[in-house]
Amino acid sequence: MQTIALTDQKTDRPPPRKPPGRVRRLWARMCTPEFYSPACFLLVFFIAWEIAGRRIDPLLFAPPSRVAEAFVDLAASGELVTATLTTLNALLAGFGLAVLIGLPFGVLLGQGSVFGRVLEPYINAVYATPRVVIVPLVIIWFGVDYSGRVFLVWLGSVIPVIINTAYGVRNARPDLLEVARSFQTPRHQLIRHVLLPGALPYIAAGLRIAAGRAVIGVLVAEIFLQNTGLGGVIQTNAAFFRTAPMLAAVMLVGLIGTLFISSVNVLEKRVAGWKTAGRAE
Amino acid sequence: MSKSAGPLDDAGIEIDGVGKTFRWRNKGVAEEVVALGKVDFTVRSNEFLAVIGPSGCGKTTLLRTVAGLIKPDRGEIRVGGRPVTGPGEDRAVVFQHFGLFPWKTVVDNVKFPLRMRGVPDKEAAATARANLKKVGLEGFERSYPHQLSGGMQQRVGLARALATDARILLMDEPFGAIDAQTREFMQEQLMKLWDENKKTVVFVTHDLDEAVSLADRILVLSRRPSRVRAVVDVDLPRPRWDYDVRSEPAFAEARRTIWEMLRSDLVEEEEGAGIHAI
Amino acid sequence: MRSERFSPRAALGRAAPHLAFAVVFFGAWELYGRSDDAQLPAVSAVATAMADMTADGSLPSALGSSMQLLVIGFLSAAVAGFVGGVLLGRYRPLDRTLMPFLSALYAVPTVALVPLVLVWLGFGLSGRVTVVFLSCYFPIMMNVYAGVRDTPPELIEVSRSFLVRSEFGLLRTVVIPAAVPFIMSGLRLGIGLGVVGMAVAEVYLRLGGIGALIAAYGATFRLDYLFAAIIPLPLLGLLLTKLFTLIERRADAWRAG
Repeated sequence: MQTIALTDQKTDRPPPRKPPGRVRRLWARMCTPEFYSPACFLLVFFIAWEIAGRRIDPLLFAPPSRVAEAFVDLAASGELVTATLTTLNALLAGFGLAVLIGLPFGVLLGQGSVFGRVLEPYINAVYATPRVVIVPLVIIWFGVDYSGRVFLVWLGSVIPVIINTAYGVRNARPDLLEVARSFQTPRHQLIRHVLLPGALPYIAAGLRIAAGRAVIGVLVAEIFLQNTGLGGVIQTNAAFFRTAPMLAAVMLVGLIGTLFISSVNVLEKRVAGWKTAGRAE
Repeated sequence: MSKSAGPLDDAGIEIDGVGKTFRWRNKGVAEEVVALGKVDFTVRSNEFLAVIGPSGCGKTTLLRTVAGLIKPDRGEIRVGGRPVTGPGEDRAVVFQHFGLFPWKTVVDNVKFPLRMRGVPDKEAAATARANLKKVGLEGFERSYPHQLSGGMQQRVGLARALATDARILLMDEPFGAIDAQTREFMQEQLMKLWDENKKTVVFVTHDLDEAVSLADRILVLSRRPSRVRAVVDVDLPRPRWDYDVRSEPAFAEARRTIWEMLRSDLVEEEEGAGIHAI
Repeated sequence: MRSERFSPRAALGRAAPHLAFAVVFFGAWELYGRSDDAQLPAVSAVATAMADMTADGSLPSALGSSMQLLVIGFLSAAVAGFVGGVLLGRYRPLDRTLMPFLSALYAVPTVALVPLVLVWLGFGLSGRVTVVFLSCYFPIMMNVYAGVRDTPPELIEVSRSFLVRSEFGLLRTVVIPAAVPFIMSGLRLGIGLGVVGMAVAEVYLRLGGIGALIAAYGATFRLDYLFAAIIPLPLLGLLLTKLFTLIERRADAWRAG
């Protein structure tokens, strides 16, 4: 095979000037079915939706052109930027607090005390409670404002952080603990140098779950607690059956959620790099 | 020499100019590797044939084409004179990775090929039990594969192949994943079973000692794209399990002949790799 | 780990810290709940409210209609998720074409879709069922997909070597049995999320089911009744998840460990 390729180049007309490597690679990538089959599907889907949406009811089944229009309108009026910032604010604050409180609490619970075992059913019960149903309680405890929204985000994401940190600390490698103990490592140094690094991969996985739940939490808060942010855009327009701006906001929510979770993923890869090779999950 | 065999009966295999090239795309770039160049060979009925060759030479590919699991690009394989178009009742495969269904019990694993042929459940169970007894696994019928050692799992694989009553047994490095002592014991068991119940066996291995101590003839393949490099007869009396085969001069002789061939291939490959690296 | 024989003394010893904590926890809650400016109802008040709602039939009937919603939504998601997962996991062109979009849709929280779904499908049972369906569908489908896609190819080869020829035969003998652990964990995740979806749909619409009860008591700030209505939900979620974990264990008896 190789020899044939060589003679081809020699005997045929001189090879055309090579296009820059990047363009060529992009072209090669686009020629794979991994690229063109979803691309074709998307095209067909959009066209079908456009036609069907216009035929049936352009208001109710907003076709892609209307959604794009709505997106531009929302962006031009500044509403989209404001809403996005509002959403991000509560999202990041709640998530940050969840990490700050969940980590130490998880380390505490993970150290094999009776305390951890006793608390577990209560934590599970809270974890299993859908957050929509505690919205009335949140109103009483925190009001409908910013603090209420942050609380809902926090509540959803703190528990996976706690559970995973505790799990990671509890499953610290006994052989390494023994090594540390043989050097008479004090308790706080043991946590810092053995328990936490060992638990890092689990903690990172917990953060990823927490990130997903934080996004859900902020939307629950914005739809059910106080109409604001991107959830508010969805909810307000739902009252008027205006699906075009709703879809625009839903897409933005999906994008923000994906970016948020994948940034946590990047963090996970960084932090837990030493373990990725042999991980089961 | 190998052509001197009489007319083929049902359990002979003719490998006629068989070649196989694997092609795939890597990030849009077509790549290929020629696994089998052009293999011509005839397996005699009821012989024990070992297939050996440098690692990655396509031994397993050859076995899988005979099994009908992959289709050759060139040439044809005939079993008992009839061309192979896919897996058939006349052949049974013993896999290197044992190939047991982890969700089935031992007896259900052995029953599997029979059930797939429409044998009624009761009859299949009786046959399965009889064959498990043959390989010494009585009492483990209701165990799951993960509860057994590697050697025991492969005995289940062997029992399953025997239960089909196929005239041809295709064994793909069957003892490759088993520890050395168990392997020797398994080889002895296989010899006994084969003496009791003659079948054509094609036994792929990378273990030179294993090939020589088990086989009537050894087919040596060259490195990729593989062809028949040589056929070596092993002149050791049978039954082979009741004396120390390895201390016989004929054993050492055959071993040395094959090792010289494999060694020269390895050396060439090393040198080839060296040139490419520079 | 756990010893097979049941010993009452050892069981009591294990339960003692739990009991002690429960007494302290609920005792403190009760005391706090009885104080004047309490923002939590006393435990006794919640219990009374629950008894009350059970006696007048409002809680059982709400639970009944919620369960109906959950069962229809979950079962349809289980069937659709199974079929979708098998098709996507087994047929590469379909996988390539649709998976990017399905993953994108999976990334959108279901809550964000609720208003849209209800606007499109109306406030009747079909809209609510669709919300539950969407909540359970993705975890089930994605798990079936992963299980089917990662079927060990060597086992497929074993099956083929023993004369299984049809695609259906391969699905039945290898692909689906090998995916059972994944299917089961998909169902377990799905039922948990289904309870959440059910609550979201009902609270959003404020009509019918336990969600409507919660929304109504929440709007009037009747905390004892609110708590009494909320508590069955996590219990239901935990119970169903536990149930599916047990089924999962049985189905996985063949697995090591």
